[in-house]
Amino acid sequence: MYRSIVKRDGKVVKFNSAKIADAILKAANSTEEFGVKEADKLTEKVIEQAQKKISEKIPTVEQLQDVVEEVLLDSKYKKTAKQYITYRQERTRVRNAKTKLMQTYRMIAYADAEEDSEVKRGNANVDGDTAMGKMLQFGSEGSKEFAKSFLMKPEHAFAHDNGDIHIHDLDFWATGTLTCCQSDPLVLFEKGFNTGHGFLRTPNSINSYTALAAILLQANQNEQHGGQSIPNFDYAMAPGVTKTFRKCVIANIEKLLAFASEKEITKAQIKPIIEAVEEKHKLTFPALDDEFLKAIQKEIKSKLGESLTIKQLTKSVKEAAADTEEQTNQAMEGLIHNLNTMHSRAGAQVPFTSLNFGTDTTPEGRLASKAFLEATMKGLGRGETPIFPISIFKVKDGINYNPTDPNYDLFKRSMEVSSKRLFPNFVFVDAPFNLKYYKKGDYRTEIATMGCRTRVFSSVFPESDGIVTGRGNCSFTTINLPRLGIKNGIALGKRTEADWDGFYKDLDAMIDLVADQLLERFEFQATRKVRNFPFLMGEGNWMGSEKLGPNDELRDVIKHGTLSAGFIGLAETLVAMTGKHHGESKESQELGLEIIGHMRDRMDELSKKYKLNFSLLATPAEGLSGRFTKMDQKEYGSLPGVTDREFYTNSFHVPVYYNIGAMEKIETESPYHNLCNAGHITYVELDGDPSKNIAAFEAVIRKMKESGVGYGSVNHPVDRDPVCGFSGIIDGDVCPSCGRNERDGEYGFERLRRITGYLVGSLERWNDAKRAEEKARVKHTVVLDKIDREEKKSKQEKLVGKI
Amino acid sequence: MLKDSQIRLCGPIEADSIVNGDGLRAVVWCQGCRRHCPGCQNPESWDEFAGIVVDLDYVKNKLIGLKGQAGLTFCGGEPMLQPKACKKIADWARQEMGWSIWSFSGYTYEELKAEGGDKWDFVKSLDVLIDGPFILAERDLSLNFRGSRNQRLLRLTNGEITKVE
Repeated sequence: MYRSIVKRDGKVVKFNSAKIADAILKAANSTEEFGVKEADKLTEKVIEQAQKKISEKIPTVEQLQDVVEEVLLDSKYKKTAKQYITYRQERTRVRNAKTKLMQTYRMIAYADAEEDSEVKRGNANVDGDTAMGKMLQFGSEGSKEFAKSFLMKPEHAFAHDNGDIHIHDLDFWATGTLTCCQSDPLVLFEKGFNTGHGFLRTPNSINSYTALAAILLQANQNEQHGGQSIPNFDYAMAPGVTKTFRKCVIANIEKLLAFASEKEITKAQIKPIIEAVEEKHKLTFPALDDEFLKAIQKEIKSKLGESLTIKQLTKSVKEAAADTEEQTNQAMEGLIHNLNTMHSRAGAQVPFTSLNFGTDTTPEGRLASKAFLEATMKGLGRGETPIFPISIFKVKDGINYNPTDPNYDLFKRSMEVSSKRLFPNFVFVDAPFNLKYYKKGDYRTEIATMGCRTRVFSSVFPESDGIVTGRGNCSFTTINLPRLGIKNGIALGKRTEADWDGFYKDLDAMIDLVADQLLERFEFQATRKVRNFPFLMGEGNWMGSEKLGPNDELRDVIKHGTLSAGFIGLAETLVAMTGKHHGESKESQELGLEIIGHMRDRMDELSKKYKLNFSLLATPAEGLSGRFTKMDQKEYGSLPGVTDREFYTNSFHVPVYYNIGAMEKIETESPYHNLCNAGHITYVELDGDPSKNIAAFEAVIRKMKESGVGYGSVNHPVDRDPVCGFSGIIDGDVCPSCGRNERDGEYGFERLRRITGYLVGSLERWNDAKRAEEKARVKHTVVLDKIDREEKKSKQEKLVGKI
Repeated sequence: MLKDSQIRLCGPIEADSIVNGDGLRAVVWCQGCRRHCPGCQNPESWDEFAGIVVDLDYVKNKLIGLKGQAGLTFCGGEPMLQPKACKKIADWARQEMGWSIWSFSGYTYEELKAEGGDKWDFVKSLDVLIDGPFILAERDLSLNFRGSRNQRLLRLTNGEITKVE
């Protein structure tokens, strides 16, 4: 008999044979093969065997457990043996997860974000240096391990860990959150709403409209794991403009009477007069028609006994319109400041916000759009470019696309603003897959986007089919497409022809796995209750949730959301399969369209089969483009054009390092927009400061629209010297305006770039893969064959900027 | 010696440039310049015997392949050192591609007009001439498409100035 035993943590404790008997009995209980007596007998056998086999005087727990396994396997109780082994494996898995988790925690606690800590930079919008940022990361890492160990099927966790797939926002899995929502503020504003910390009345001025819009986005952000979007920003703010205009009209008439009359007349006396007139006439911004003015004149005469001329009234209304404009401008500036400073999620993030606008042609809606654009142009307190919101201009023939369209001026201004501030992006209502749902004047049928690209539009349910408001994505998971290419292609040199049958077989298996995983997560989400999401669901923000009570499960409303499978690195996949990507070969382009077309077909099939909205996402790949590549590099080595960089190319994009004309890039990528119904975007890189050449910017946007692109934007460098205030392009360390060397002072230059759809002020918070990607970006140019690429690149760098 | 059908370039034919004139533009970079302005961005383009010599047909073939360009701009180096070749490309591009034609030059409009000949013939083919040397002391980053304040953006019709920017 042993006296002591070594525990896993190295501690030596008193040996207790009853513990062995207990473990054996536990296994036997579930198989019902034997009872206590037999368990004791087997325990004796274990100790006897152990003393023969284990040479050490004090055995370890693991050594003893090995012997238990052997003894059980040698016995006639095969089922119990199997049960014991399974139980032991399960315990090991959980224990390993714990150990790994503690290592990760150590990294978070001690590593500085400046040092090479990928955990910290996974999400460029979180400041991993702050206390709350760290807190968020502790929670996030722990929650991830819990979901993987206890909530998900092991095969899903395994596929995620080994890099076959990437389950996005895995840290939120166990909370049952949905990704994002396109909220219609009008639904909430009309009845007022409760954020969980207090009730807010129906807003009554443009100022409170924008304030509440920010609060709405913030409240939602705390109940979801993705971004927040308002799909109808101009329509939603228009009533606020009207209300402010009414207030200004009343205030100005009061002022007018204050000067003209000897009596004390207050706003409270004028308000009912305007309200009475409004019962018969419509209050229209920015001018009131003669009928309206005459009615006011009459009422004031009869109720207050004062005489005002139409000319006087017209003047005061004109002033009211000017005041309204001024207040709207201020409200929009306030909104942008709010959205860049208000905290969410334990204070470590600002909400990921998107505002769509540009199609409301009423004077009130137009003022909201215009003021919002001007505020974006103006920038923040020191002229910095606002990081949020992502603004999206909705381009539509007949509304704003042509010089004769009513909102053409807004389209023009949007391009000017974007050429300076990188936003707005442009979503194209006329792309065939968007246009088919469009009903003029009904903003619910106008395509909008969330965050960097998410799109929720079609539905298997008629009540949500073609409706953007009150819906969002439930969750999404990305397939490591290049790995399938490496396995079945020519990149490894194992075959000379790609094995397409093998590729599609693997792809289908991966799609099946992802579908199963999305459904598993959906089941968990579906059994959450309204009270888990008091704002999103409790206040009726999400489609249909207004009909549910606090304890109702969410299945029946989240069915309007989407379950999306994504992909990354189509370019590397094609290189691995055939040697060429879709930007450099027509055949590869056809193959690429076939692959992505097949994935889309599978999503449509799944939608039919499960009666849920499966859709295909062109994954933006934050934090992901490096994870897959690193693993594949380790497994397959550095394969030229496949794994020889630190990142896989974003979704269906032509690689950023490949030289291709802007027009060709747009043409190559546009057919994928039709296929990726869960979201897509095309970027074009320009070589200079496009605010000095709007014609160039416009040529790109128009080409996108004409090519059937769904969503697009232009990337260009925006650098700023905080000392002299120069904003433009700064090559190298020296400010071209004041000649200051960046290294001399304590203030570095700000270099704003777009990272998977979001703007980031400095490269420090970018993860390694994204930094490498930015470095590799080339502007689109055509090369002389004779000059080799390296030489060309160095030449070009010098040529950019000009004589 | 270059053949009539050739041009000496200092860099690749560029497309989608937004810093060399209105809209997206193709750019032909000419090799060779005698001005040697202090602060020049491309001093490697000065040597009249460096760069690479290509056939005009080669340049045309490259330009034909470009999509969505608003026009063609001649940069350098000094385009006016190869005025005949530039004019051939310019006239062809206007005719075949429907492009507007811009050129930079270190000479002033007045100098070019006074000299006449091939240089002036090329000027007559232009929609825009950005003229004059780069003067470091007059450097101004806020100017569109120009490096220093002495340089002018001249809109031309058949060689006559219609607008100065």
